[in-house]
Parts: sequence; C-alpha cells; structure tokens
Amino acid sequence: MMFAAQFAKTIKLLIVIGMVVPVLTGCWDRLEIEERAVVLGISVDLEKPGAAKEESDVSHLKGAFPVPNQRMLRVAVQIALPGRIPLGPGEGGGGKGGSEGTVWVIDVVGHTLDDALMNLQQQVSGRLFFGHLRVIVVSEALARHGLQNLNDYLRRNPEVRRMAWMMVSKGSALEVMRAAPELERVPSLYLMSTLDNAVRLGKFPVNYVGMFWSNTSKKGQEAFLPYVEIRKEQNIQVQGMAIFTYDKMVGSTLPFDIAAYMGIKGLNPAGYRGFVPIGNNPSRTVTIYATSRKSMIKASIRNGKPYFKVSIFTEISMEEKISEQFSINSSDILKEIEDTNRKALKKACENLIEKTQKAHSDIFGFGEYVRAKLPNYWNKKVITKGAWQEMYPNVDVEVTVNTRMRRVGMKAK
Amino acid sequence: MKDERQITAIQSAAILVSTIIGVGVLALPLFAVRAAESGAPLVTAVSVLLAFVGLAVISLLGMRFPKQSITQYSEDIIGKWLGRLGSALLIGYFAILSALTAREFGEVVITSVLTRTPLEVTVIVMLLLAALATRNSVTTFAYIHHFYFPLLLFPALLIVALSLKNADGLNLQPMWGNVSWTRPELWEGLLTITALFQGSFIMTLVIPAMRRPEKALTASAWGMLIAGGLYVTIVAATVGVFGSEEIKNLLWPTLELAKGTSLPANVLERLDAAFLAVWVTAVFTTLFSSYFFTIKEASKLFRLGDHKMFSFFLLPTVYVMAMLPRSILHMYEIIENVGRIGLILTIGYPMLLWMIALVRRKRGNR
Repeated sequence: MMFAAQFAKTIKLLIVIGMVVPVLTGCWDRLEIEERAVVLGISVDLEKPGAAKEESDVSHLKGAFPVPNQRMLRVAVQIALPGRIPLGPGEGGGGKGGSEGTVWVIDVVGHTLDDALMNLQQQVSGRLFFGHLRVIVVSEALARHGLQNLNDYLRRNPEVRRMAWMMVSKGSALEVMRAAPELERVPSLYLMSTLDNAVRLGKFPVNYVGMFWSNTSKKGQEAFLPYVEIRKEQNIQVQGMAIFTYDKMVGSTLPFDIAAYMGIKGLNPAGYRGFVPIGNNPSRTVTIYATSRKSMIKASIRNGKPYFKVSIFTEISMEEKISEQFSINSSDILKEIEDTNRKALKKACENLIEKTQKAHSDIFGFGEYVRAKLPNYWNKKVITKGAWQEMYPNVDVEVTVNTRMRRVGMKAK
Repeated sequence: MKDERQITAIQSAAILVSTIIGVGVLALPLFAVRAAESGAPLVTAVSVLLAFVGLAVISLLGMRFPKQSITQYSEDIIGKWLGRLGSALLIGYFAILSALTAREFGEVVITSVLTRTPLEVTVIVMLLLAALATRNSVTTFAYIHHFYFPLLLFPALLIVALSLKNADGLNLQPMWGNVSWTRPELWEGLLTITALFQGSFIMTLVIPAMRRPEKALTASAWGMLIAGGLYVTIVAATVGVFGSEEIKNLLWPTLELAKGTSLPANVLERLDAAFLAVWVTAVFTTLFSSYFFTIKEASKLFRLGDHKMFSFFLLPTVYVMAMLPRSILHMYEIIENVGRIGLILTIGYPMLLWMIALVRRKRGNR
C-alpha cells in the first residue's frame, strides 16, 4: 500500500516534469550562428530622392511611403562571415586586402533606417543580428539633417549596445564602411580600435553612443561625436569633434580643439602636444606634452547672467626642442615655458568656447552646472534645453590655467 | 502543526528583502525620474519610509496577535463580516498583483531576450513554477527565500558598484530635482514607488510562524532597510550614469544600466545577461510570495486546514487576469493605478485595524 502510494507520487511528478520540460527549452528563439548575419558596422548616408527608384517594394508600395520630406537613406552594413574571422593572431595568414575575405559589405536604400534594413533583409538569407554592432558611421550631410530617426531605431532595438561607437564622417560614410585597412582583418574592429586607442592615448574623450544619447537628452548640455575622415591608406583620421544641438550637427572642431576640450573637462590621459615658443621667439620653440590634467568649473550669477570660472591645472613635460641655440638647463627657463604654455592653452580654450557659443552648442555641459548648482536660477530663467541654447552664447566664461613643468626627458640641456 | 513556529528573525528579514526586490526594479528609475528628475533617489527614499510605515503597522498588529494572520484577527477586531470582506478584498488584490507580476515578467522577456517565444509560455511557466513551489509549508517557504536572498542581493550590488565608475555626480544634483514638490506627478510617482514595496505585506503571514514574534518589528526594519537601500542605490546609480532626461527615454533603465556595465578586464562585456538571470530569480521569489499569500489566506478565509488545493485551483484565474492588459503601455498604466489604489488595502486598512484594536483593547492570546 505504502509502496503503491509512493509509486503513484513518483509517476505524477514525472508527468509534471515531462510537461514542463518542453516549455523550458526556449526553442522558439533558437538561432544557430550560421543562420544569423552578424552586423559589425552600419553606415548611413543621405541620398537624393531619386534613389527611390532603386528600391523594391518590400515594406511599402512605390510612392506610398507616408513621409513628408523626400529624403532617402543609403545604408550599408558590414556582415561578418562566419568561419572567416580569424580567432587568434596566428591564424589565417592575412594577405592583401584581408578585409575583403572576412566581411561582406552590402548597401541598400530606404526611406528610414528600418525601411532600409528591411530591404536589406530581403536580400540576405540570415537574420540580421545587431548584438555585435560596434561601429555606426553617419555622413556629415545626414548628421546635419538630424539623427532623430537613427537614434530612435537604435534605442528601441534591444540587441544594440550602448558601448558601440557612433561617428560622423567627412564625406561619404559608405566609403568608410568599404575601407579595408591593412592592420586589422576586420575593418569594423579597426574602426573601433582606432577610437578606443584614441581614448587610451588621450586623443579623444570616451564617448560611446550611449553617452552621446545621454548628452543629447540633457537639458544643459549638447552632444558631440568623433568627426573622422578617410585617408589615402584607407586609414581613418580623427578630424575633430562634430558638435550638435539636439540631434543635428551644427559644426565641427579642429583636432587640436579636442585637447582644449579635454583640458576644460579635466579628462585624463592627456595626449596632445603643444609648441611653445619661449618668450614668443619662434626660433626658441619647444614641444611639450601634458601628462595629467585637472579642472574645476564653478558656476555663479553675475549681473543676472550665469558666470563660469574654469580653472585648469596641467602637468607638462618636454619632448623636443627645435634648435641647439639655446639650452634647457635651469628651472627658470622651465618657468618661462610654463608661462607661455599657460597663455597658449588659455587662448585655445577660449577660442573653443567661443566657437561653441557661436554654434549655440554647449558641449561642455556648463548648463548642467547651472541646473545642478544654481537650481533657483535655472528654474526661473532657463527651464528648457532650448532656452539654454539661446542663453549659452551670452554667458561669460573665465578660464584660468595653471601649469607645472616637471620633466625634460633624458637630455641634460 | 507543532513544528510550524520555526522562522527566525533573520529569515523573516530575508523573506521581506527577496519579496520586495522584484519585477518592479527594472522600471523603478523611470517612475522615480518622472516624479522628480534628479531628485529621484530622494523620492525613492521617501517612498521607502512610507512603505515602512505600512510594514510597521503590519508588524505591530502581528505582535499584538502573534498566533494569527490578518484574515483571522481582522474578524476579531472589526467583526466577522466586515473582516471577511476586507480579507476577500486583500486576497483578490494579491491575486491581481501575482497576475501583473507574471505579465510584466513576460513582457520584459519577450521584448528583450526571447523575442519569438510566445508571451503565454513565459507567463505560464512562471506561474506554474510559483504554483508548484507554494505547495509547501510556511517553513519551506522561508527556507526558499533564505536560500535565494544572497543570490539576489550581491549580484545586484556588484552591478551597481561597477556601474558607478561611469556615473557623474552632476546628474544627481540638485538633490530635490528641478521640479516643484507640490505637483501631482510627484505624488503619483511617490505612491507608485511605494506600491513596489507592497510585497512586504507577506509579513502578516510570516509572524504566526515566527519563533519569536516579538522580533517582528526588528526583522521588518532590517528587511526594509536592505531592500529600500538597494532600491535607492539602484536609482542613484542609474540617474548618475544616464542623467534624468535620458532615463525618460528608457522603458527599463535598470536593464540598460546592466547593458552598459562591463566586468573589469574584459571578462564580461555586458552584464545584462547576468543581470537578467538574477532578475528572473527575483521575479520568482516575488511571485512566489504574492501567490503564497493569496492561497494561504484564502484557505484561512474558507477555514480550510490545507492550502495546497488552491495552488492549482487559482492558477487559471490568475493566468487569465495576466492576459487582460492589451499592450505593454496599457499594462504599465494598470500597474501604476492598481498599485496606488492597492495602498489603501495594504497600508490604509491595516492602519484602520490597528487603531480600532487599540481603541477596543483587542489583543490576541499569547
């Protein structure tokens, strides 16, 4: 009797487990690696309305697209070829234009990003998979037109990660996607490592797409993106920053302005070099580099307007000297260099601030200091992002630079 | 049953923590930011206090009637029929809460991870799991919670700690937000967040099984401190990393936080998978508690000795309720409204009972 009851219980349990197991396996979302098209990079260009002819009727009929303006997008994706991507440094052996073998670049047109991607999906067998998307390249024309549609799609898609890089290309973005740099076998990864290393070398502030989105949303700050250009060896050069108001690009800076930006924000490591003519004598020029930076931004109200005090402190070392006519052998001369550098950096910072003020684009987030530290003023006079954009050109920023020169390298004079 | 008084104070605190931490943690920063922008952590902290008031009343009532739960002592305090009506409302409310938990879980899973798995399947699996687990005694219930408690708390703290390196203190200032504290959205948000702590009502059921019921208030305080502390930290970290304006664009900011956080030295590039694993456990313990409350109190209301029969009997009802919201946005509207209204039941009603018990000098036998 006891045994029978035990037995019945076991049977019941087995039936329940048997019923539950098929539901737990998650077979609906099974997707083998060779069935998915892993997208590593996307480029988006603005196209003329005429490009609609190129499009086939995938997600809508011809002429039936309910978009008021007739702009078109040309979207290119870099799809990783499974099995072709070398896993270690020893594998593969490379060869010329190795990138041609590891990825597949396809471009399509569409009215919106999703429309274009659906047109693409129609031609590609595997399901487009964005979990490994690392690089999004946008052409300058599109960035100036506005990135709303792009940002919306990418924020909505659960596969896209916020750690991807978004960049604005001078000229065609498609060309950047097609570029096949020699160094890395996967072009998108090369693009990514260009920027990651720029961050590590202090050539660019860390600015993943997630941070770009956050800065776009902030009321007292505008966003920026790396501004890149393709060079003759198919390599990518960081050409400065593309600065935005809302999601529209309004201007760009020089590469050297990045140093000023990082100085104002006090970002480390510091990677740019500066030429310092001692005592304003061009024949007595030395090259210095900053080793570390600190900065403090203080906001206050003066004459009914926000007033900012930016104090920058940099530590510099010497890297080269252009002639033997003078020697660097006393601490007095280092003082002179410090003095000149102080003035030069101050000037560079003020120039950059003025440039952004003209563009109404507060990429430094001075407005955030007003919002955070002077909430009474903000709540009365500013409140919205638009109001801050209007106010930003009229605020005063005072930059003070403090420099200490510590080291001169291995040469004694 | 003789051996039913086994739960220690630490276990009851663990039950509270793992019950409170649940499905709501994903949308929590969004609710808080909608209420007070950069004042979100402060709003959350105020909600914790408010929720603790409710929990303290439950604990005090439980210490007054150490052998009974709310279904039983409410009949003593306000009379048989009024008490039964109150209990029936509470039971129904927790059944709805279970349904909404299961549905919210299903919506998150179908949106972010298993996009092609039918919603019905994820909801049914979760409900089945909870229903199976509720076929145990209160003691086992406590053990299950106690077991999962560290598995919930420490990974969540780890993710928060790792994400802090991307945080910017400016995003958290001013501490009270750039909004007026008298606007209605703020109060709605405050109540919505307080409603996320309603699972703590399970305390009324735990106290009669506690070895030393007089420690109930201490256990409640610890439970609320840990769970509330974690919630405030999560909100602070999320707002610090994204800024309040960006959070308004995100449906589940906490999930985005995990997505943007990586383990050092490239061990894991994004923590959302790890986070979701923890979160599934958290949802299970929450659902487990609210479903357990529903069937246990229902069996007490109907004077049944055993609650097991209800565990599958109620399942279809809960499932159908879970399927009622038409869309994800409709679901969140329902969750916010139902949660706020439910506060009348989970904080207002016990408070009323307590005051009447004080006035009528009612007291349970020890």
